[in-house]
Amino acid sequence: MNRIFNVAYYTFLEMVRNKVLYILLFFAMFIFVLGIAITQMTIGDELNIISDIGLGTIEIFSTVLSIFLGISLVQKELSLKTLHPLLSRPLSRAEYILGKFTGMILMIVLEIVVMCAIFAALLFVYGGIGRFVTYIPAVYTIFLQTATVISVAVLCSTLTEPAVAAMLTISFYLIGATSYNLVYAITGRTSETVAKVITTLRYILPDFSHFNIKDNLVYGRGLEGLSIGFASFYALFIVVIVLSVSIIFFNTKEIN
Amino acid sequence: MAKPVEIRNLTKTFRHPMKVWDKIEAVKDFSFSVETGEIVGFVGHNGAGKTTTIKMMMGFIAPTAGEISIFGEKAGNIEIKKKIGFLPERPYFYSELTSMELLKYFGRLSGMKGSSLIDKAEKVLRRVALYNDRNRKLSSYSKGMLQRIGIAQAIIHDPELVIMDEPMSGLDPIGRREVKEIIRSLKREGRSVIFSSHILSDIENLSDRVLIIENGVRKSFGTVREIVKPENIRFTIEFGGPDEMKDAAFSLFKGIRVATDRFVIDCPDLLDFNSKLATIVKKGYTVHDARGSYPSLEEIVFKGSSEVGHE
Repeated sequence: MNRIFNVAYYTFLEMVRNKVLYILLFFAMFIFVLGIAITQMTIGDELNIISDIGLGTIEIFSTVLSIFLGISLVQKELSLKTLHPLLSRPLSRAEYILGKFTGMILMIVLEIVVMCAIFAALLFVYGGIGRFVTYIPAVYTIFLQTATVISVAVLCSTLTEPAVAAMLTISFYLIGATSYNLVYAITGRTSETVAKVITTLRYILPDFSHFNIKDNLVYGRGLEGLSIGFASFYALFIVVIVLSVSIIFFNTKEIN
Repeated sequence: MAKPVEIRNLTKTFRHPMKVWDKIEAVKDFSFSVETGEIVGFVGHNGAGKTTTIKMMMGFIAPTAGEISIFGEKAGNIEIKKKIGFLPERPYFYSELTSMELLKYFGRLSGMKGSSLIDKAEKVLRRVALYNDRNRKLSSYSKGMLQRIGIAQAIIHDPELVIMDEPMSGLDPIGRREVKEIIRSLKREGRSVIFSSHILSDIENLSDRVLIIENGVRKSFGTVREIVKPENIRFTIEFGGPDEMKDAAFSLFKGIRVATDRFVIDCPDLLDFNSKLATIVKKGYTVHDARGSYPSLEEIVFKGSSEVGHE
């Protein structure tokens, strides 16, 4: 366990010092500011719009960051050969993968905390800081969704080059983000057989609708049947499966 | 007690990168062992199989056939890695970390902790002359400095066996001398060292035994004197004489060379040497020098050498 946390800590340290992170955070802040400008030009509840933009920005930037940093997590170490001295230590390949994943999770937690602080400050300025507490479950489910994306990025990074890994991880995200609506859009307009295939696919394909509670919370609809417990279990299920596959593959990989 | 390294009938075959059905034999059925406190040098051309052998010893790649035993355990065994220090070829480390952080990271992974880890990290940094740069990010390090921090991380946990792939690569003469001294000091401390190098004089100076690999095949393994066998000794006679005898000298033997003020003749063996020497003396020439000398390791490697069955 110590070895996993060691790898995680130094992975986190290396990433925190990466300039790209600050560029992305700066860009995220820019989007926040842009959002405020938009609220001045739109009719409606300013706080709802700020909340929408705030939570949406946290989700998008967490995803972008996890894809951007995750896809090269292992592959970069393979190509630069920083992996060799690491694996010459008493460290199993499984511990290495779990350490890298945990380091990325720490990184994303920090990024979400920073963005939440900016978001809370905005809500405070517009007199809606009280709403922030009600949004915490939404931030938590964004984190869960991002954790699944990170696990897929880690898997892809052990399998292939960063460019291909990026395409595969983005595909996973897009499928996860659209599968629920896509399945319901198609069902009822096709034959029974196709409907059965689509229903089966629903259980196989990632479905991020389980994590999507931010709209409900922003517009005061409550959870409407969505369960934080189930979302946690669902994320954990994906992460465990994907990381297990990563470890199995990485254990047999020739480290050239 | 188990030997630090015992390799038996090691073979590694890779799939051809372009032709799927073709295979490349990187290492072909070779064996050798390393004793405690011994320095073994790997030598061979690029692509000879030196790095592939080292990677198999570290458990990075699996052998196609054969056995690798490190301190009596299979290569790649997690626990046995506590006893191994490894320096990869052209090392590169996490650019955003400082050298002190890197040593703490790797030291902790090897089971070190607390103030003893910090003391050891400082000691090792002094040993590789990087103490004053310990808080600088590795991204600002030169190639030579990276090589030295690579050596530092390989020895921070006091390993019993140190494996170094091209440790002198990218170093200036002073850096090379420092690394050679570190390798010698590791031996004095009773550690075993395996290192590969293209610089044959380094191999010759440092190694107790040398493993010559050619196209994945073990060409020779033994001490430099064993590899450079007595039958490989070259005999040379240098002689001269008055001007009127000089033209006649060329008719004495085939292959006579002129070197400034004297003639030089090489002899393939001791018998020929004695016979030619007698002729020269008998004809009244003056012998300036008559000697037998071992060829350098470089000449052996480039010429190829016969197998030395030493284990």
